[in-house]
Amino acid sequence: MIIDSHTHVDRFGWYDPPETIIRLMGEAGIDQSIIMTYVDAPDVKGSIEYIAEAFQKYPDRLIGYARMNPRRGEEAQQLFRKAMEEYGFKGLKLHPAGNRCHPARQETIDLIRLATRYRAPVLFHCGDEEFTLPLQIAEAAKACPEATIILGHCGGYFHTSDAVRVAERYPNIILETSAMPYPRLVREAVERIGAARVLYASDGPGCDPTIEVHKVKLAGLTADDQEAVFHRNIRRILDNVTLEAHSI
Amino acid sequence: MIVDARVYLGTSLFNHGLSLTEITANMERLGIDKAILVPVKPCNYHLGPMNQLVSEAVKRHPERFMGLCRVDPWQAEAAVNEAQRGFEELGACGLYLDPWEENFQANNQILVPVLQEAQRHNKPVVINAGHVRVSHPTQIRDIASQFPKVQFVACNGGQINISGILQFEARRMLEACPNIVIDTAGTYREDFIEEIATEVGEGRVVFASGSPVYDQEFEMTRVRFAHLNPAQKQKLWGLNALKIFVSRSQ
Repeated sequence: MIIDSHTHVDRFGWYDPPETIIRLMGEAGIDQSIIMTYVDAPDVKGSIEYIAEAFQKYPDRLIGYARMNPRRGEEAQQLFRKAMEEYGFKGLKLHPAGNRCHPARQETIDLIRLATRYRAPVLFHCGDEEFTLPLQIAEAAKACPEATIILGHCGGYFHTSDAVRVAERYPNIILETSAMPYPRLVREAVERIGAARVLYASDGPGCDPTIEVHKVKLAGLTADDQEAVFHRNIRRILDNVTLEAHSI
Repeated sequence: MIVDARVYLGTSLFNHGLSLTEITANMERLGIDKAILVPVKPCNYHLGPMNQLVSEAVKRHPERFMGLCRVDPWQAEAAVNEAQRGFEELGACGLYLDPWEENFQANNQILVPVLQEAQRHNKPVVINAGHVRVSHPTQIRDIASQFPKVQFVACNGGQINISGILQFEARRMLEACPNIVIDTAGTYREDFIEEIATEVGEGRVVFASGSPVYDQEFEMTRVRFAHLNPAQKQKLWGLNALKIFVSRSQ
């Protein structure tokens, strides 16, 4: 069983219809994938609906995260509520390099707190660009200790040490394996923060899910840890997500 | 035939290292026929003895290894002399420049004398590319267009950016400069490799692992699982590298 925690379906930026990731999932032996656009809502009209249509078309294979621009304030919050309650999205995606909204800005914090009311995870693009650095995202994790913050790409090429360090510091940070090129980092993350806080992801279809699966296999984890990384951890997180907002 | 077009030999200042024994064992385990050895920057910063080390490895196992000569262009005339020694005495099949570790911009004019030396010997030049402040694709393109007769190999797909935002620039670099090819090590994303091989030219990509900075076994999966036909893959695995490094060496 493999669940891919970070993939893309889009017709607005790069063109990747749902059938592309479905085909690659078949090649890689992946059961389910979490999909999101390359663009932010509500900046790009129809992007939330496009993802909803995709996971409604493939309800057993695809799960949706809503990629939002926190700078859009109340408008973004309203659309996120709709995505969660009407369409059945399961998480929030933030790409601060795209929308230039610092992870610790109040607008971002407000959106993270809203996601947390649904017990929904918050997946950050976490690489080497300004506003996406692990130490910057860690400020949001510190401000929202009740939130589940996922560091997508685990710090990219040059900030992987920081990613592991902030995950050691804040227990609400989860590390995600996609696209970064170091199998040894998967093992290091498991050894230092525990297998329960590491997720397999590919960043497909651009990054080939088959290759990304091999990366985790090359990390030399125990069979039990590998299962946790491949599906148990994200399943546990997703099972906790609710259709209605709770108070926090 | 599988040729790994970039494997670092020696103990690096930057806390990684492979001995010749380890490199050989890895190649045997993974089915790699030939590797192009690159000297690391050692703890004492002296590149000359590392070039010697690479040369000795190649002389001991010419069927298995080729080697690049690494110079620091900030050393000016000494760098030119070392490049000359590399080509004429050490048997180097090309020049290696590392703007990231030697801290120079890839289009800085301090490169001109060493590139002239490479051109004089008809040797390819491998540049550690994709580091935004020193070896951005626009900088590689700029220097390569000043030396159209020199074959350049831009490492890391010519771009290191996990948002993919540099892919467009790297492709423009390749389209503008037919004298540049990219290597596959660490490349974001695999579909960029496929795109370049199919749309820009199947001769424009060479397999390299960049190990031990990157994981050699994992890096092989980028070619193994690429959505390319067998003939294209053969070129990526080794034919392109042999054309660049062997044909020019003879």
